[in-house]
Amino acid sequence: MTLFHFGNCFALAYFPYFITYKCSGLSEYNAFWRCVQAGATYLFVQLCKMLFLATFFPTWEGGAGVYDFVGEFMKATVDLADLLGLHLVMSRNAGKGEYKIMVAAMGWATAELVMSRCLPLWVGARGIEFDWKYIQMSFDSNISLVHYIAMASVVWMFTRYDLPKSFRLPVTVLLGLCVYKAFLME
Amino acid sequence: MFEEASEVFDNMFKTSFPLTFIVFIPAVLILVSPLPADAAHEFTVYRMQQYDLQGQPYGTRNAILNTEARSVEAEVLSRRCVIMRLVDFSYEKYQKALRQSAGAVVIILPKNMSTMPQDIVQQFMELEPEMLATETIVPVYFALEDEELLSIYTQTLTSSPTQGSSTAAEGVHVLDRAHSRSKKYLSVGETGGRLAGVGGEDLPTIVLVAHYDAFGVAPWLSYGADSNGSGVSMLLELARLFSRLYTYKRTHAGYNLLFFVSGGGKFNYQGTKRWLEDNLDHTDSSLLQDNVAFVLCLDTLGNGDGLHLHVSKPPKEGTPQHALLRELESVVASQYPELKFSMVHKKINLADDTLAWEHERFGIRRLPAFTLSHLPSHRLAERSSIMDVRSVSPSSPEQEHQGGGRGAGQSHLQPDGEGEQEQLSSVVDWLTAQPRAAQLLDKDSSVVSTLEHQLGRYLKDVKRHYVKADKRDPEFVFYDQLKQQMNAYRVKPAIFDLLLAFCIAAYLGVMYLAIQNFGLLYSVIRKVTQPKAKTH
Repeated sequence: MTLFHFGNCFALAYFPYFITYKCSGLSEYNAFWRCVQAGATYLFVQLCKMLFLATFFPTWEGGAGVYDFVGEFMKATVDLADLLGLHLVMSRNAGKGEYKIMVAAMGWATAELVMSRCLPLWVGARGIEFDWKYIQMSFDSNISLVHYIAMASVVWMFTRYDLPKSFRLPVTVLLGLCVYKAFLME
Repeated sequence: MFEEASEVFDNMFKTSFPLTFIVFIPAVLILVSPLPADAAHEFTVYRMQQYDLQGQPYGTRNAILNTEARSVEAEVLSRRCVIMRLVDFSYEKYQKALRQSAGAVVIILPKNMSTMPQDIVQQFMELEPEMLATETIVPVYFALEDEELLSIYTQTLTSSPTQGSSTAAEGVHVLDRAHSRSKKYLSVGETGGRLAGVGGEDLPTIVLVAHYDAFGVAPWLSYGADSNGSGVSMLLELARLFSRLYTYKRTHAGYNLLFFVSGGGKFNYQGTKRWLEDNLDHTDSSLLQDNVAFVLCLDTLGNGDGLHLHVSKPPKEGTPQHALLRELESVVASQYPELKFSMVHKKINLADDTLAWEHERFGIRRLPAFTLSHLPSHRLAERSSIMDVRSVSPSSPEQEHQGGGRGAGQSHLQPDGEGEQEQLSSVVDWLTAQPRAAQLLDKDSSVVSTLEHQLGRYLKDVKRHYVKADKRDPEFVFYDQLKQQMNAYRVKPAIFDLLLAFCIAAYLGVMYLAIQNFGLLYSVIRKVTQPKAKTH
């Protein structure tokens, strides 16, 4: 609704990241550059996913109301690549478990924030028209932050070899939920 | 964190210079990009007339607006855009808006005029000249109604009374970027043709004239179905009839006929004035200079049940004008008794701002002329209203036409022509399909060329010529920016922004505290879940 509104939305979206970064002790580990690297990995993974989707899944021609379960299922499966990406980032970073998780999640989520939310906010929230969706979008990014942290920690737990057996099942279920979250919501 | 960030950026700068450009130039470009106008609703509005006639300014002067919208019942109207519907329109409200120097006035007209009750239509028609006469700097716009516009209107209605107190209520903001400039030139096109009479060289001439442009409070909405679409269609019909009659020796009369469609009629008959000047002053021989029996002007013949012949001098006995008058009376009395025919005598008053009827132009040049119209007086509002549209004009054109045509025909021959109803209505339909205000009819306008083509089917020597306003001392000055796109946005008041900022700050504070004391939170949760784990 004006630059002020844009500032509001931006603050709502970005400050939690900032706060998380400062308070989780990452700053002591000089982790900024590693977060940027995690962000770059995110970009790379997204690119691969897009290419894969575009090549192997042609546009679905069926009627408007029919929800293509199989197709969407396959598409959601591709989101597994997200998990692989997180795993890749974490394996490259030496250090304690929590450090790895936090770095990966922070970098990943920040890259997602910049790529998918900054531009709509800039273009939309600066206009004269007011719409609640911008506040919603910013709030959504907060939730994504928490979501990615959780996802990263679950991936990490999955790869630990000294994990008690009893935890395996919930961890796997949670992982599955992460991947198919978008699919299940439909 | 900022130290590390700056370190990273330093490295980036030192190593690869082009990279910095790639990073920064888009950022700079995006920052200085103009604000996109993304509207909730964009609609077309038509501005009120703005013109100067002989130095006298009329209408609204201004076009730009960027204001908040209010309905007319709100108290504070200054620098706001007042939106009102035609049903609620009244002159007092309009005056109130102007007195408080409102930012703009937008009047919403229904898409289909025939749904309006007749008294509202009549009232508005009468108010139009008054609205134009008061020169104002407040831009006045007309818009056609649709659902979005209606919803915007109801929203302004509900939000107007509580404008001061609400922080979360939505207002509507209208925006229109335009600047009115004058178009000092305008070329008015007109066309005409002739039919030669039988029997030698020096035959008397009868001239039939109608002006084709229309006038209303908003140029783009001036369709002029009755005034003067009916006149033009009747002229074409008469041309067709006479051309047919003139092909047979038996019915070929001893008169030359000249048909003329003139432009600029509503602006003091500029087209006719120039045509007369060209033909009488500048050329050596023309049909007009010789023996002219009379000039018959057709103006507003569509509605109504009266037929009036307006003259500036009552015709003397024994002149062709008198014969026409007698013929008309007898035809109407014998064949159309329900039509009331009368002669209206009005002297030409040169001190008036504008001339009353077209025949007065001819009268000034000493050519005997009269105007046939269903209106008893030239001051009636029907001649210059935007309410004059096709759906409103009902059905007695045929009678009028028959009466007028037969009268004109029988004055010197014995025809048995019959008017064709479909042709008449199709011509009027075509004419009212586009707005025909004089400002909008340019050299490239299709109206004049189509008229020329139509006349060319029946007449000989059909020519078109253009009249340009004199550059040094223009009689009429028109202004443009008559049709605009207006944008309406739903906005929240500024207080809302501050409130939102406050909420966000509070939220962030809470988050900060939560993260700082995350350990505390964690231990609390463990304590809660611990008993479960122990007994597990």
